[in-house]
Amino acid sequence: MIGAGQVGSTVVEALHGEHDVTVLDVDPGRLSAFSYRYDVVTVEGNGASRKTLREAGIQEADLLIACTSRDEINIVASMFTKKLSPETQTIVRTTNIEYLEIWRERELDIDFMVSSELEAANAIAGIIGIPAARQTDVFADGKVQMVEFEVPRDLQEEMVVGRELRDATIPPDSKVASIIRGDRMLVPRGNESILPGDRIIVIGSPEAARAWSRIMARGARPVDDVVIFGAGQTGVAVAGVLLEQGIGVRLIEMRQERAREVAEALPKARIFHATGIDPDFLERERIGQAEAGIFAMREDSKNLYAATLSRVHGLRFSIALVHEPISEEVFERAGIDVAVNPRSVTAEEMVRFAHDPRIRQLAMLEGDRFEVLDITVRPDSELCGKAFRDLPMTGSLIGAIIRDGAAIFPHGNDTLEPGDRAIIFTESSRVAQVERVL
Amino acid sequence: MVAVAGKRGRLGLGVDVGAALNFVSSVLKYLGGAFLFPAAIALGYGEPVWPFLAAGALTAFTGVVGERVTSARLGLGPREGFLAVALTWLAVPAFGSLPYLFAGVDQLANPVNAYFEAVSGFTATGATVLTDIEALDRSILMWRQFSHWLGGMGIIVLAVAVLPRLRVGGRQLLQSELAGPTELERLTATIRETARRLWVLYVALTAVAVVVLASLGWSGADEEMSLFDAVAHAFSALALGGFSTRAQSIAAFAPVTQWVLIVFMVLAGINFLRLYRLLVQRHVRAFARDEELRLYVALLLGGSALLLLELLVGGLASGEEAVREAVFHAVAIMTTTGFAVADYTEWSALAAMTLLVLMFVGASAGSTGGSIKVVRHLLIGKVLRRELEQTVHREAIVPIRLSGTAVDERALRSVVAFVVLYLGVFALGAVGLVVDARRGDVEITAFEAIGAAAACLGNVGPAFGFAGPFGSYEPLSNLSTGILTALMWLGRVEIIPVAVLLTRSYWRA
Repeated sequence: MIGAGQVGSTVVEALHGEHDVTVLDVDPGRLSAFSYRYDVVTVEGNGASRKTLREAGIQEADLLIACTSRDEINIVASMFTKKLSPETQTIVRTTNIEYLEIWRERELDIDFMVSSELEAANAIAGIIGIPAARQTDVFADGKVQMVEFEVPRDLQEEMVVGRELRDATIPPDSKVASIIRGDRMLVPRGNESILPGDRIIVIGSPEAARAWSRIMARGARPVDDVVIFGAGQTGVAVAGVLLEQGIGVRLIEMRQERAREVAEALPKARIFHATGIDPDFLERERIGQAEAGIFAMREDSKNLYAATLSRVHGLRFSIALVHEPISEEVFERAGIDVAVNPRSVTAEEMVRFAHDPRIRQLAMLEGDRFEVLDITVRPDSELCGKAFRDLPMTGSLIGAIIRDGAAIFPHGNDTLEPGDRAIIFTESSRVAQVERVL
Repeated sequence: MVAVAGKRGRLGLGVDVGAALNFVSSVLKYLGGAFLFPAAIALGYGEPVWPFLAAGALTAFTGVVGERVTSARLGLGPREGFLAVALTWLAVPAFGSLPYLFAGVDQLANPVNAYFEAVSGFTATGATVLTDIEALDRSILMWRQFSHWLGGMGIIVLAVAVLPRLRVGGRQLLQSELAGPTELERLTATIRETARRLWVLYVALTAVAVVVLASLGWSGADEEMSLFDAVAHAFSALALGGFSTRAQSIAAFAPVTQWVLIVFMVLAGINFLRLYRLLVQRHVRAFARDEELRLYVALLLGGSALLLLELLVGGLASGEEAVREAVFHAVAIMTTTGFAVADYTEWSALAAMTLLVLMFVGASAGSTGGSIKVVRHLLIGKVLRRELEQTVHREAIVPIRLSGTAVDERALRSVVAFVVLYLGVFALGAVGLVVDARRGDVEITAFEAIGAAAACLGNVGPAFGFAGPFGSYEPLSNLSTGILTALMWLGRVEIIPVAVLLTRSYWRA
């Protein structure tokens, strides 16, 4: 691993138990802090140096994680690694969305690339894009969504809620993966029903996810006015994702030059040159009327102040980016609705890949009780060719399969074929079993 | 010129006057060759050849000598560009008026009038002081038309394409010649090649116009259209000039010819860079999405509709004739050509007002037309809308976009400055005309003065009253003629290069 910063330490935290980790960094202070906390080998040196990489034993490594804050160092380290040891897989962190696009076009020889900005943006867009959702994850380039809803206690609805599932009018192309009632988790068989106050986890197409959200948020309008404080890289990435979903965005930036630059780059957004902590401005622009505020400035303290001030002005829903690990807790104490830590989102993404490169994406829901796996079915899997109704009931659920680039939401007659990508919802304890069977 | 060149060594002078003069001299040297064309016409029709040969020789000689005695100290940079542009547009018509004087044209015996006619020719204005056009020799008539054509695309663009030494300065020259308010977009890697291709396109379009018009004559569709007229009117139409070889202007020709000329005027009023991309590089979508082009077409249609209303309600014309006359005049005035197929001075105030407003619209930037130009109106409209938005949302940052691309704030400021200057110069000119009329006892109404100033500054040509499409500027005094000459010059160089020369900071090192 190259880079012993926040991302690095989150990744090491998750991996050091089951893997031998060597950490490379230029800063000896950070390295010694690392070696006290974790049982890892530390090497002082520049990750973009071929000599250092060789000394750190790159040829024996299965995986390189380059997660310094500098894109170019990460990319160069990965390039050298591929030259020195073609068998080694590489994960690269980038802050530049352009690099990510180049990687997606397969122009960069890197196995997995993660952008903190885009990960954070997707996480935030997931929260805002679907009202009433607690958490959203997207799979297979957005073709499959997994959403956790809280069923409101006062929900007046008859077609879905309160009916046995086999009779309920569930939106097409979707499945109820789990019902959580209090501390109990129910396997949603046909005779179960969703009750007000439950939490439910749904897997389905984006249309189905929106249909579910309409059911769960009766009367709530779709989000149309989001204010983003801070037009830095993350702020702009969030704005881009929201604009793509057709959500109106206002951006507030305090540096005039940057504001102008962003205004030119995002024709559909409205940009304001203001500090974001000026009460007159907030009043004049009716920031309190916005449906959500996203606080994406560089300093946590500023975000907290601006968010609190906006709440004073009537803002109903606030999401803040945090940069220090402790801030997450501080923000939630202070009443910020959601705190998103781009670095930990990035680290999570890297850990998912590290677990099994076959698993393209993996979400953790309800803390770590459930996991979502995205596994390509092996030709020699014992389940190949079987119809879904004949698959054993094990407490794991195949929510969707991706075949030839298209998402299929399987019914009882469909069969599982080799090469299918299966999106699987499962209890964490069963992950190993599922991986073995498929 | 030699004396002025001596100034170049003066301390503290930040402008290389020598370089600018050197450029003007080079232009003159090549201009000398242009006189061979009317000379050949004269030879063909058995008219006196020597006025053209003499004028050509004198022009070329001045150019060669000028080039020898001037020399660039710093080179032709952006600053020298302004001076060079302003001087070129003064010097070229001065030499271009020589044939009128040498040939002993009675109507142009007054040098002020001859210079007016030449400036009107080279700036592609089309205003005339002649009262009996058809009395002139054919070679002189063709020289008038040819001067339109040379000046239309711009002798400066041609110079950039041809002169070997221009590299850095060429960009500035081309910018002030045809780019309009926004950054000059290059068609190719070098400015020189861009200028060259623009000229090739210009020549090609002219050739097409000649062929189409001449074939109308040959096929018998238009008995009046001879090869001579076809060439003459192709020059005038593509340059958006307005001179005609006929006293009755385009009214002398058949309706089909009039429609053909409408098409060529509309084409020549489009930005040539866009036109090149469409015709040669086949960028159809970018062409159709161009905001300036859309507004240009919309304004042409709007102007035509108002004139059609005038003609139909006023019972002045009907059917195809009404449509043709309405569209023709809307196009001819807005593109700043100045052709006519009817005497619109006999129409009512609705027509007069519509045409006056169209004179201030102008053609597209980068076309051969003049006036304020459509893109500036477009940008001013956008700036106004932004101002209104920002009175409510003070902190809003709203970049102004033109066909999707953000426009530099500095460019926007210069657009506003240009329009203000334009209106100021127009007002001064109009006031100057009435003051001089009172002094010199010339009959001129306020509207006629306004029309004359607008028509000359906008390089349109015909105005209202005595200066109407079949009239002449001849009744005006020498001073008034001089004022209008200055307006044509200012309009052609788009004021700024001249206005800049009047500031002290321009000359300082």
